[in-house]
Amino acid sequence: MLTLTSSRHTALHDWSAGGKLAGLAVFSVALFALPGLWSLAGLGLPLAATLALGLFPEWLRLFRPLVWMGLVILAWHGLTGTAPEGLTAVLRMFAAFGAANLVTMTTRLTDMQAVFLWLARPLAPVIPPARLALAMALVIRFVPVLALRADQLSQAWRARSPRRIGWPLVFAITLAALDDAEHVAEALQARGGTE
Amino acid sequence: MSGIHLNDVSLSLQGKPILTGIDLHLTEARIGLIGRNGSGKTSLLRLMAGLVAPTSGRVTVEGASPTDRKALLRSLGILFQNPDHQILFPTVIEELSFGLIQQGVPKAQAQARARDALTAEGRAHWEKAATHTLSQGQRQYLCLLALLLMAPRWLLLDEPFAALDLPTEARLRRRLDALPQRLITISHAPAAVERCDRVLWLEQGRIRADGPPAQVLPEFRAQMARIGEADADTDL
Amino acid sequence: MERSLTRIALFAALIAALGLIPKIDMGIGVPITAQTLGVMLCGTILGARNGALAVLLFLALTALGLPLLSGGRGGIGVFTSASAGFLIGWPIAAFVTGALMGWMKEVSTAGTFNAAVAGGIGVVYLFGVPGIALVAGKPLVEAFWGSMVFVPGDVVKAGICALVTVAVARARPGLVQA
Repeated sequence: MLTLTSSRHTALHDWSAGGKLAGLAVFSVALFALPGLWSLAGLGLPLAATLALGLFPEWLRLFRPLVWMGLVILAWHGLTGTAPEGLTAVLRMFAAFGAANLVTMTTRLTDMQAVFLWLARPLAPVIPPARLALAMALVIRFVPVLALRADQLSQAWRARSPRRIGWPLVFAITLAALDDAEHVAEALQARGGTE
Repeated sequence: MSGIHLNDVSLSLQGKPILTGIDLHLTEARIGLIGRNGSGKTSLLRLMAGLVAPTSGRVTVEGASPTDRKALLRSLGILFQNPDHQILFPTVIEELSFGLIQQGVPKAQAQARARDALTAEGRAHWEKAATHTLSQGQRQYLCLLALLLMAPRWLLLDEPFAALDLPTEARLRRRLDALPQRLITISHAPAAVERCDRVLWLEQGRIRADGPPAQVLPEFRAQMARIGEADADTDL
Repeated sequence: MERSLTRIALFAALIAALGLIPKIDMGIGVPITAQTLGVMLCGTILGARNGALAVLLFLALTALGLPLLSGGRGGIGVFTSASAGFLIGWPIAAFVTGALMGWMKEVSTAGTFNAAVAGGIGVVYLFGVPGIALVAGKPLVEAFWGSMVFVPGDVVKAGICALVTVAVARARPGLVQA
């Protein structure tokens, strides 16, 4: 499946995933702890990094869903006469979002997963790491399967109805997920189970 | 106690009888299992694979109960009709090495063996491929490879050719014919089991006939033709 | 063991798939995405524990960099935006919805609707509103009234969740947790 990791290899890709995530955590906490003007500098950091690494257009595109959210916040503060606070809030959100996306773009999914499994180690008695890794692999495997099923079902809907797709489609996909879970459980069992 | 034994096995699901009074001792290298839709073929396979427990009676595979999962993994593998019900992993290499890891092979070694198997099949380029990008025939083939890596003594195949085009079917058939394993193949088409050593005909959950294909298939064909001629098929 | 693991994984995938389907007509003429519907369904069908784990698994993979949220959003960044509080509320919402389902004697449309409203709306906004207040730099009360515009759509989703859950319970007796 498609990940958000950039296919363009940069120097940042070689840094350790754990290090990048720790850095991001410090950066985000600082962003909210420091006074407003710092958020501008905070946005400048990932901006400069993406420009230097040639990831800027890709990085900018990820902001698209956030633009309207920023505009709403600005307008909202404008109406209540607190425009400067609004600007700070939006800049801070964009800075945190931009830095996080930089880490996501330059870290491979498998490296992220390794950090995650390491962080989840204290949970080992409740959720053994092998089971967790298996569950993750199953999700990655079955997102495209269910997405395809959803697409086929909505085509079947459109082939027989001029109206917009309605809730029976959700029923059909949910049932497919439930049935697939049964089949996959059997397939797992047939090949040695989860132990 | 070699082979697969079923002693007076019956199976009901939610109170509905699926299989009744099945008595079999299977040792032949190639066994065909035929019958109409809903006759219980898949349920019989699932019983042998220990995926469902019989309501009454006893199943043993190579002397062990199918509930002994460890022993069963070495003696039996099952190929589901729909590869999407079988493929568990996003990439080919994970899918192939999983079974070996379940048998206790260390991960690195399992992956190396999976890689060797792919190379031997001339498909080394599949290693990193995403399983959902493979075609139907390729996914079926991947499922078979995953089973063969586990080297079980028996392979149970549920309609292995149902969704394949003719050249793919011919290739898969050749591959299966050459296997040293004992095969039990489900089909609703008599032609698919013509060269088996033994054919079982299942009807409404009971063994209707059991013997060499030359003996079982003509009667099966005649009966299917007879039913097909009648228009009102209330159980379709 | 296998079954609860595969249900958790498949329902995590279901939440993602529901974010990909074309917008659904919710009956009020306003098309909305169905992902929170997926969260509600995790609770009503898988029950409290497995439902919450399914949502957690979905969020974990999203954070790790898979674009599983509707509109292809993903990565750790989604937890820094104004809607982060809603995401954090999701697993708890599934848990509460599932727990409420567990107290019911049978799966009824009205009961399921109430459970989905309490978990999928009550709990989600309990976390979502402070998230908006924090990120947007607004007092809680204002954030609360501001987010009310989304509630009607969510109520419709709870209704659909009830219809789907009852239909699933009827189609696969014994599989729905309640």
